[in-house]
Amino acid sequence: MNTATTESPQTTPSHTASTDAANQTPAIRVRNLMVSYQGRPVLRSASFDVPRGTLVGIVGPNGAGKSTLLKAMLGLARPDSGTVEFFGQPFSSQRQRVAYVPQTGAVDWDFPVTVGDAVLMGRYGRLGLFGRPGAKDRAAAEEAMETVGMTAYRDRHIRRLSGGQQQRVFLARALCQQADVLFLDEPFAGVDAATERAIFDLITKLSRSGRTLLLVNHDLSVLDRFDTVMLINGRLVAMGPTRDVVTEQNMRLTYGGKLSLIDRAEAALRGER
Amino acid sequence: MISPLAHNLTLTQAMIELNWDQWIEPFTHRWWQETTCCVLVGVACGVLGVFVVLRRMALIGDALSHSVLPGVVIALMITGKTNVSSLLLGALIAGVVTAVLISLVSRFSRTKEDSAVGIVFTALFSLGIILISALPQGVHFDLKCFLFGDPLAVGPDDLKMMAVIAPLVVLIVVLLYHPLKIASFDPVMAMAMGVPVVALHYLLMGMLSATVVAGLKTTGVVLVVAMVITPASAAYQLSNRLSTMLALSALFGALSAAIGMSIAFVTNSPTGPAMVIVATLIFALAMALSPSHGLLFEFIQRRHGRRHIQEEDILKAVYKLDTKEHVASPQADTGATLANVSKETTLSPGRILRLIELPSLRSLVTGNVNRLLLTESGKTRAEELVRAHRLWETYLSREVKASDSDVHTEADRLEHAHELADEVDAELGHPQRDPHGVAIPRPAHAAAPQQQQPHSTK
Repeated sequence: MNTATTESPQTTPSHTASTDAANQTPAIRVRNLMVSYQGRPVLRSASFDVPRGTLVGIVGPNGAGKSTLLKAMLGLARPDSGTVEFFGQPFSSQRQRVAYVPQTGAVDWDFPVTVGDAVLMGRYGRLGLFGRPGAKDRAAAEEAMETVGMTAYRDRHIRRLSGGQQQRVFLARALCQQADVLFLDEPFAGVDAATERAIFDLITKLSRSGRTLLLVNHDLSVLDRFDTVMLINGRLVAMGPTRDVVTEQNMRLTYGGKLSLIDRAEAALRGER
Repeated sequence: MISPLAHNLTLTQAMIELNWDQWIEPFTHRWWQETTCCVLVGVACGVLGVFVVLRRMALIGDALSHSVLPGVVIALMITGKTNVSSLLLGALIAGVVTAVLISLVSRFSRTKEDSAVGIVFTALFSLGIILISALPQGVHFDLKCFLFGDPLAVGPDDLKMMAVIAPLVVLIVVLLYHPLKIASFDPVMAMAMGVPVVALHYLLMGMLSATVVAGLKTTGVVLVVAMVITPASAAYQLSNRLSTMLALSALFGALSAAIGMSIAFVTNSPTGPAMVIVATLIFALAMALSPSHGLLFEFIQRRHGRRHIQEEDILKAVYKLDTKEHVASPQADTGATLANVSKETTLSPGRILRLIELPSLRSLVTGNVNRLLLTESGKTRAEELVRAHRLWETYLSREVKASDSDVHTEADRLEHAHELADEVDAELGHPQRDPHGVAIPRPAHAAAPQQQQPHSTK
């Protein structure tokens, strides 16, 4: 399949330059990633690099394959083809360096755990099947709670948290994992503007400390706060610094209703005319 | 010849002896055997039930219990007799096959999981019933016992099997506590971390089928799901930690079994339903008494909160009427009479009299129907309230930009959160007057910033 050449993202020169400047393997390298869901391609031939320490915003309409992209990178959805590397290695050997922050709606907030317990779960990946968290793990959890300002809520049940506090707990859990790459799935869903600002400040702080963050986001008004924006609509439409990428044409390609020739070809192949 | 009296005596004696036998019987070897077996089933079901409830698999629990039938019947066909270990193996295989089929159906069709569960277990259960009729002659399968349980059929073999399964279930859950916890709370994250989420799911399914089949004789297929989900749901109401929930659920399971068996014996009723009813009563109690969201607790808290607000309203009313009197002419009907306080607070005079007799108000309000008085500490409390009210008014009109009438009504509500008054004061930069130009009283403990002001302006 050589759609890669025709569908390759418009990677801007400055983006490539920064990769070279870092002179390191990128935090994430994705090549020709293709994922289908129930026989339909959701994401076609995505290829991109994410340099270390960048804050990436993933933007696109509903059903554009944003969450699918995250899941495929984390090995949760099986790609039809393509490779994903973290720091030059396959994901399976880099699990502990990668953290996933789900949407707050994705878990049961009545589950019997306290804030401290939930944060400590970030360490579970290191414990092995029969391990128990030790003093070092608890110290890491304490530190993570401190960073997000949730120490005072340690013994509180997670049911009694506001939307912003729930998001903080998830962030603390990812920090406690001591991950270098964080995937955040719509961290601003269901929080008010003030909380969104507070969480964004926290995210910016994490990004400054050298972590690589990828954020799936619906809100287009905050695009200028990202280092890099990734526009997705079934394929990688464009990726690069916000200023260069967020053009009228790209936005039309991402959000416009017009189907590309490839989409029409796919529909024809499925017999949907 | 025996005299009628003597005859009567022996009859009474016989009756006493008969009753005695009847009363001692439950504690014979047999009764203990059945009850121990039921308690072990209760513990194992309770522990596994926690995960069933938290992972929302109640329907799967029901399905597993039904769909072990073909497994049990096939095992019976092969071995020809009710061999405990082969029945268990057959049930285990059937349980895992059920779980696999359910996930296959929901993955490869449009059917959602709940319907997939329904389709799979009814099909397997039907298959089992058809297989029963195909059993070779001479091999008897008691479908009624399978459906409704029959503790009288619990033999030493069943007890031995449960004595292995229950501790094993507890041990596995303790050993795999952390992976099970994260896989149940956040499966996506657990999977990304490398926790074998799918394997844990099938392990739970396997343990559940083993427990269910071992416990079948105690409650039967139809009711066994209650032993799985009811004690766990009761524990869910009462716990903020998974470990607490597991311990409570196991305890409730054991209690339901023990109490249910005793009641069933005394009242001579079926044991399975008795255990389920006890479990349900425990659940109802937990629902009513739960400390964080129980009905009773909520009721008490709401009542307590309302009374607290009424008490403070009385304090404020007496204070207001009292100070007004000082300013205006000392007419009898303007002071803090019971009638005036009642008008001011919209509480009935009777309610006010009852409230000021309560320990919380007794030291603050004195006087009689003609004249209510505040004690020194009562005055301090009332001033705190007035201060909070004026501070909130200032806050609302300045920060929220609410209209004057809104400000007053809202402040009437917020003033009861007077423990926040100092924070509001600081936030507003220690204002001297409220929006109506009235001075905001400043108690001794809040006076410090005022004295500091000249220093800071220098």
